[in-house]
Amino acid sequence: MHLKYESQLREPLVYGEKNYHQVTEDIVRPIEAKPSKLWYIGFYISVALLLFGVYSIYRDVTYGIGQWNLNKTVGWGWDITNFVWWVGIGHAGTLISAILLLFRQGWRTGVNRAAEAMTIFAVMCAGQFPIWHMGRVWMAFFVLPYPNTRGPLWVNFNSPLLWDVFAISTYFTVSLLFWYSGLLPDLATVRDRAFTKLRKRLYGVASFGWNGSTKHWQRHESLSLVLAGLSTPLVLSVHTIVSFDFATSVIPGWHTTIFPPYFVAGAIFSGFAMVQTLMVIIRKVFGMEDYITLGHIEAMNKVIVLTGSIVGIAYLTELFMGWYSQNKYEGYTFWYSRAYLFSPYGWSYWGMMACNVLSPQIFWFRKMRRNLFVTFFMSVIVNIGMWFERFVIIVTSLYRDYLPSSWSVYYSPTIWEIGFYAGTFGLFFTCFFLFAKYFPVIAIAEIKYVLKTSGESFKDNMGKIEEQTMEEFVHDHAHH
Amino acid sequence: MEQKKHWQSFGELNQSEAYNKDVKDEFREELPFVADESKSFLEAKAPRRDFLKYLGFSTAAAAVAASCEMPVKKAIPFANKPEDIVPGVSNYYATTFVQDGDVVSVLAKVRDGRPIKIEGNELSPITQGGTSARVQASVLDLYDTARLRFPTIDGKEVTFEAIDKAVAGAISGPVVLLTSTVTSPSTREVITQFLAKYPGSRHVTYDAVSYSGILLANEATYGKKAIPSYHFENAKAIVSIGADFLGTWISPVEFAKQYAAGKKLNEKKPEMSKHIHFEAVATLTGSNADEKYLHRPSETGAVVAALLSAVNGQSVSIADAKLKAGIEKAAKLLNANKGAALVVSGSNDVNVQILVNAINEAVGAGGKTIDWSTPVNVRQGIDADFAKLVDDMNAGTVGTLLVYGANPVYSWYDSEKVKAGLKKVKTTVSFNPKADETTELCKYVVPDHHYLESWGDAEPKAGHYSFIQPTIYPLFKTRQWQDSLLKWSGSSVDYLAFLKNYWAAKIGGEAGWNKALQDGVVNPAAATMSGASFNSAAVAAAATAATSGKKGGAIELVLYEKIAIGAGQGASNPWLQELPDPVTRATWDNYVIVSPALAKTLLNIDLADGGQADAYEVNPPKKVVKVTVGKNTVELPALIIPGTQPNTIAIAVGYGRSEKLGKSVVGTGKNAYPFASMNGNTVSFTVADAKVELTGDTYKVALTQTHSRYDTTQGNRTEVMKELTLAQFIKEPTEIRDEREEELKPWGGLEKFESQGTIYPVYDRPGIKWGMSVDLNTCTGCAACVVACTAENNVPIVGKPEVLRGHEMQWLRIDRYYSGDMENPNVVFQPLMCQHCDNAPCENVCPVAATNHSSEGLNQMTYNRCIGTRYCANNCPYKVRRFNWADYTGADSFPDNQRETANDVVMDMNDDLTRMVLNPDVTVRSRGVIEKCSFCVQRLQESKLKAKKESRPMVDSDIKVACQQACPTNAITFGNANDANSNITKNRKENPNRQFYVLEQLHVLPNVTYLAKVRNLEEEHAGKEEHKAEGAEKKEAAHS
Repeated sequence: MHLKYESQLREPLVYGEKNYHQVTEDIVRPIEAKPSKLWYIGFYISVALLLFGVYSIYRDVTYGIGQWNLNKTVGWGWDITNFVWWVGIGHAGTLISAILLLFRQGWRTGVNRAAEAMTIFAVMCAGQFPIWHMGRVWMAFFVLPYPNTRGPLWVNFNSPLLWDVFAISTYFTVSLLFWYSGLLPDLATVRDRAFTKLRKRLYGVASFGWNGSTKHWQRHESLSLVLAGLSTPLVLSVHTIVSFDFATSVIPGWHTTIFPPYFVAGAIFSGFAMVQTLMVIIRKVFGMEDYITLGHIEAMNKVIVLTGSIVGIAYLTELFMGWYSQNKYEGYTFWYSRAYLFSPYGWSYWGMMACNVLSPQIFWFRKMRRNLFVTFFMSVIVNIGMWFERFVIIVTSLYRDYLPSSWSVYYSPTIWEIGFYAGTFGLFFTCFFLFAKYFPVIAIAEIKYVLKTSGESFKDNMGKIEEQTMEEFVHDHAHH
Repeated sequence: MEQKKHWQSFGELNQSEAYNKDVKDEFREELPFVADESKSFLEAKAPRRDFLKYLGFSTAAAAVAASCEMPVKKAIPFANKPEDIVPGVSNYYATTFVQDGDVVSVLAKVRDGRPIKIEGNELSPITQGGTSARVQASVLDLYDTARLRFPTIDGKEVTFEAIDKAVAGAISGPVVLLTSTVTSPSTREVITQFLAKYPGSRHVTYDAVSYSGILLANEATYGKKAIPSYHFENAKAIVSIGADFLGTWISPVEFAKQYAAGKKLNEKKPEMSKHIHFEAVATLTGSNADEKYLHRPSETGAVVAALLSAVNGQSVSIADAKLKAGIEKAAKLLNANKGAALVVSGSNDVNVQILVNAINEAVGAGGKTIDWSTPVNVRQGIDADFAKLVDDMNAGTVGTLLVYGANPVYSWYDSEKVKAGLKKVKTTVSFNPKADETTELCKYVVPDHHYLESWGDAEPKAGHYSFIQPTIYPLFKTRQWQDSLLKWSGSSVDYLAFLKNYWAAKIGGEAGWNKALQDGVVNPAAATMSGASFNSAAVAAAATAATSGKKGGAIELVLYEKIAIGAGQGASNPWLQELPDPVTRATWDNYVIVSPALAKTLLNIDLADGGQADAYEVNPPKKVVKVTVGKNTVELPALIIPGTQPNTIAIAVGYGRSEKLGKSVVGTGKNAYPFASMNGNTVSFTVADAKVELTGDTYKVALTQTHSRYDTTQGNRTEVMKELTLAQFIKEPTEIRDEREEELKPWGGLEKFESQGTIYPVYDRPGIKWGMSVDLNTCTGCAACVVACTAENNVPIVGKPEVLRGHEMQWLRIDRYYSGDMENPNVVFQPLMCQHCDNAPCENVCPVAATNHSSEGLNQMTYNRCIGTRYCANNCPYKVRRFNWADYTGADSFPDNQRETANDVVMDMNDDLTRMVLNPDVTVRSRGVIEKCSFCVQRLQESKLKAKKESRPMVDSDIKVACQQACPTNAITFGNANDANSNITKNRKENPNRQFYVLEQLHVLPNVTYLAKVRNLEEEHAGKEEHKAEGAEKKEAAHS
């Protein structure tokens, strides 16, 4: 930070008359207060969904993948669609915390904690699908390259699924570390304010003995930078590798070189949409309007309109290539199975187009970007659209591929397929409710870090600076 | 009493201290810590590494010990090993598949005392090693849980002695023996003896789908109530009027073999027989024809009469211009090939068959393509005889009825009358092996053996004998029906002795008998073929009668036999029920076949409309229609089958069976026999005026193929399927090769495609390289290979609910494609199995390397490594990989998880009895793993070992994969492609121009080659030219 105060032209990042204590009070309040009725209702619904998911998986494991409606032609359906969808959602957190940190985007402070938590929970949800979609999940450990007693038997490093194993586990590990190391000072704050022995003990353990010493802070900042540097390429690599599941195959509609950038853009798109969904709720429910400001919302909406348009261009490019390549298989997949509205799955393609490409264009208007209702509505629409995108890619490519003889009957999910998906919502929100109850949903330390430059009440001091002459300014600010 | 104590050592006897210590610490060794008692454990001078090693070992050992279940071994060694039984080594016994007159000489593969597979007997000159789907599936009937297991009187179990006594006392009055066609000469002798014992008794032969029409017509014109031998291989011109001779007509295995001989194409000298087919409803044979014309069923007589006129040079009066042209063309063809022409008809109308005989006479078929010197015995039933029996029964003039093979209560059109008649017969005896509809109504039931448990003989054609020997001790308390007859006729010998006696004199005593059993067949010396003197007196009357039949109404109905189910024999066999019908690709049901034109008006489905076609294809529920004829109605789903006459609908017989026949008949289809009727002397399987209406209901039909055109709106997928006409092939023999060359030009053309189509290095493939070639010209799509594959490789049955969801497991499927005109399309069948790609897309996507490539070019599946991600199945461009969606086989380690997913049929397939059919050489796959064609790797290993044991290189004759073995037309060639002398190498070398790989341009490098289908047509393919023109237009449009 070069300036003590930020230009008044910039929107404040924290509103209201705040001082450090006030910030702590505001953010820790939900942790120290009893949860509201609303919290309980939400939590129980989530747990119920989670249990339904657990039962769905129980059936899947006990009776076989035949509990789902996949068939000889459509080997992946909702399972992998949901996997890619959740992984995509899991992108925003790291993007916000790592890339925006490196680019020194101060506005990330208001949303990074919750976004990172969302990332971790989303990746947890995503991980369920490749695991439980296995026919013999009890043999899942075969995908790990560990020294074994099976002679020279090793995993197949050629397989994109194996790359997934590495990519996702790495991403999850780094994201978890990043999130948790950022939590340490805040957990220590909660510990220091603890009013029961148990609380003190638990938060004490959780904060790893943080005492706020300069040395701690120095190490903390270095670690943040290192982890940010580590996770930045991961943001790009994870979805690139997920896209390889499709791009390296021979199936028309999958075999596409455009997939890596297109998947990454789509992931950021859906990730930000999910952050919006959660933020709009959190700021309202926890009264955090001063910290998660309309400015934050607007910034994220800008990212949404940008990435949405990138994705849109990718769709159009695919269509163009479907025609330009004069490859009849691609042509059929893109122009008939997808783009033809009256083909069996045409509705899903146009659902995707409407949700992902057309509707985000509304955010070219500032008023709309700053409208909470529109933001919330759009964030949900975008994630529906992104779900359709994955469904379109997976199902419409598979169900009618090379041999017309193998074209499939109409694939639609069974209750247990839906149950599995619902279960991951349960897992996600159960985790998120617990997070919101027991952890500071906004990074206290980081807010404090920007408070005195970008807080509304402090920005007023900028007026004085702007009136100063250069000499006075240098005199005041030079290090003595 | 004190327990007797055994001891192993003196230590144990004396309970010495050292011994006790050893026992206690049996597996424990001291950890090798350097002992320094003064220091604590952690400070020990430690072989830290050793500690970790031991820690690791003991953890692993504990894990292994805790998780490994010891297999339960039930194998018990022989006390005295029989000479010819070696555990793990198969024996092949020659025997004969006999079912309701159908006779196919076969070898039964017996492993460890259990027959597990049927293969064709190559020594039979009739079938020459060919089989059919039903022959292949017959081994499963042996282990059918619904077989009758003991003799009964009024449904109560009794002993043989008791029933013999009871029947002996009960046989009275005029005795009638009712059987399906009996081809066994010794059995005929037994019958004669039996009938002689009871004066006034008679033998009535009843065939569910009878050939009375031919028999009577031949009697009228040739004076012989018999069916001659047909020789399709000698015919350059074949005209069939509704005879499904490749599927169900008389002796399809034999005919397929002959037909293929005429269709086999020599590229250097391209010529082949020409087959023109007239039919009302799409059949397998019609689908294989070079040209096909549609006519109403009621016009059959008119068509045959017109053909006769045309052959005689007279004018043809047929209203339909297309049909008329077809008849004239057929006549021209027949006349041009006099002496090498054959006309057959599937009609059961005497008059039609008389006209057919007249045509055959006119074109000189006698002695050339029709051989009267060796008449066939496989169908002998005369409908009128049976009709009279039913009348007699109702009149109370039958005292005793003994039934063997026949099941008229089910298959006679007037079932109620048969039932009423049966009630009036005092003593009813059934020898049928299952509780079929007729047996249920019989008082005494003495179930017969399965043919694999029986002794016997058969004479499918005069002078051709085929022998039956048991391959397993009877599983149940059953008895050969001949034994019962002998016993009841007071004979003291049993049937085996009788049989031996019968043959000993004829074939040279004990040695001859043994040789006959070993070979399975005794063939006559080659006889010259001969015609028979033709009496044309009946022709004129027949022509009048045939053309003046009832005019067809708006909708006509045809009853037909399906290849798998036949007249109903296959209904209780799950392998056959789950076999996709080659023509309709449906399983587990019968249905009403309608044409696309009728679908438009009746079902409101226009297949020409993309959206409607899609909706019809992707949704299993099909519209239900109600078919009414007189007082009989049936409601069945309607399937749209191109190649069906627009005013005609068709329903397969053989469905709607009694639930006592087994689990697989429950809920599968409805009985269509009641729609048949008596037409003069014969049963007619067509109805000239049926009413059909939409009910508004839907019913799910389990189809295994939903889309059938490879020329989609997005262009002709010629990399999938290549077909052309003979004229085209003669004009431009290298066309297909040129097309391939053109396609691959950017990557070095055909020669260098393998190395230049990839950025990766190319490896040598020395040693063995397995390869297969399928000749689409000779493949008739009969699906014998599919069942053979199912039997050989323990492919599970999944049941209708699972097939509906696209979960069928067959490793080999027969794809059916249409091209051209939708009302009367060209049909081509393409057997598709794993292509064993050398650059297999499935192999590199498996995260755990569960599917990989062998050094012999096999794409292998390692079941116990598979974790079931299904990525390989997704990435397979041929979609030949099959996933075990549920525990179909009981091989899963999860207890009690089948009830939820498996229906009764699947559970029945898992019965201990049914599981005896499993091939011990092939792993039974558990839930959650992928499986697919292995090129019968177990057979390949066996053949390699055999050659090795004999210290010689392996040759082609050592190996026959299951599908190849079963094929009645030798369409499948298999062998070592690296061996210059192997058939596969020769096949590929001799057919460079027709050869293609499916989806070659993907550079997956398949090891299965296909030889393009060539249709014997004079015109070059019109459809193709259009496509080219369209393409040109498109290009122009793009440029402008």
